[in-house]
Amino acid sequence: MEYGVVVFYSTSWALKAEKVAKEGGFEVKLIPTPRQISSDCGTALRFRWEDREALLALLESKGVRIEGVHKI
Amino acid sequence: MPKVIDARGLSCPQPVVLARKAMAEADELTVIVDNSTARDNVSRMAQKEGFKVEVEERGEDIYLHLRREEKAETLPLRSAPSGPTVVFIPAYGVGRGPEELQEILIRGFLHTLNEVEPLPDTLIFINTGVKLTVEGSPVLEDLKALEEKGVEILICGTCLNYFGLTDKVAVGSVSNMYSIAEKLLGAGKIISL
Repeated sequence: MEYGVVVFYSTSWALKAEKVAKEGGFEVKLIPTPRQISSDCGTALRFRWEDREALLALLESKGVRIEGVHKI
Repeated sequence: MPKVIDARGLSCPQPVVLARKAMAEADELTVIVDNSTARDNVSRMAQKEGFKVEVEERGEDIYLHLRREEKAETLPLRSAPSGPTVVFIPAYGVGRGPEELQEILIRGFLHTLNEVEPLPDTLIFINTGVKLTVEGSPVLEDLKALEEKGVEILICGTCLNYFGLTDKVAVGSVSNMYSIAEKLLGAGKIISL
C-alpha cells in the first residue's frame, strides 16, 4: 500500500482534516510528521496515495488549509 | 570489486534500509543516491556503524563509498539496559493538558514505536490506559503490529472490569497486579507516560 501525508500549519487544522476525511469515508490516520519532512506542525494526516485527488478536493471544499502533501 | 547499491529514486528511509542490509554482508560498498537527505542519512548511519564514508558527486548522482574501519574494540551503538524495557501507560493520553492533545500524543507515540528502534519488551496498560486496548480504539492497528513483532502487551484486568470493558479487549492479554508488579520490578528500564 502506498501512502502519502498531508502536513498542516497547525494541529487544529490536522484535527479538522482528520474529521472531514473520516466523515468523507477516507481511510486516514493522524501520525507524527515523518522525520524527513519539515513542517510547522508535528502532526500529519496519512492517507492512501490512490485517494490523493479526491481527498485533497474534499479538504479544499471544506476550507481546510494545508501546508503540503508528500508521498512516504 | 565492492558491492554497489543503487538507491536512486527511492524515498526515505529506503536508501538507509538497503545500505544497512548490504553493510551487514560487506566491508566495502558503494551506495548511489540522488538527493542530499539520503546522502546525509546514509552517511550518518554508516559512520555510526563504524564505516568510513567518502562522498563523490557525479552529475545529479551522489556516490557514497563506504569502507569498514578496523577498530580495536567495537563499541555498542547504544548503552543496552541490563533488563527488559517496559513502557507504562497509565492514562488515555500523554501528560496533562487538553484531552484532545493528550490523545493526539498517545496515538502518535504508539504509532512511532512501530517505526523506531529498539522495540520495548512490554507495554503495560493500566487505569484509563486500558481504553486504548479495546474495540474501537484508534491505536489498535499499531498495538497489533507491535504484538506481532513480539512486544508483550499486558492490560490491567481490574481496570477493564471497573470500566465494564473486559469483553471488549482486542489486543494483548488481560493481566493482574502480580504480573504487572513483577514486570516493573524486573525491568532494566521503565518508561512511564
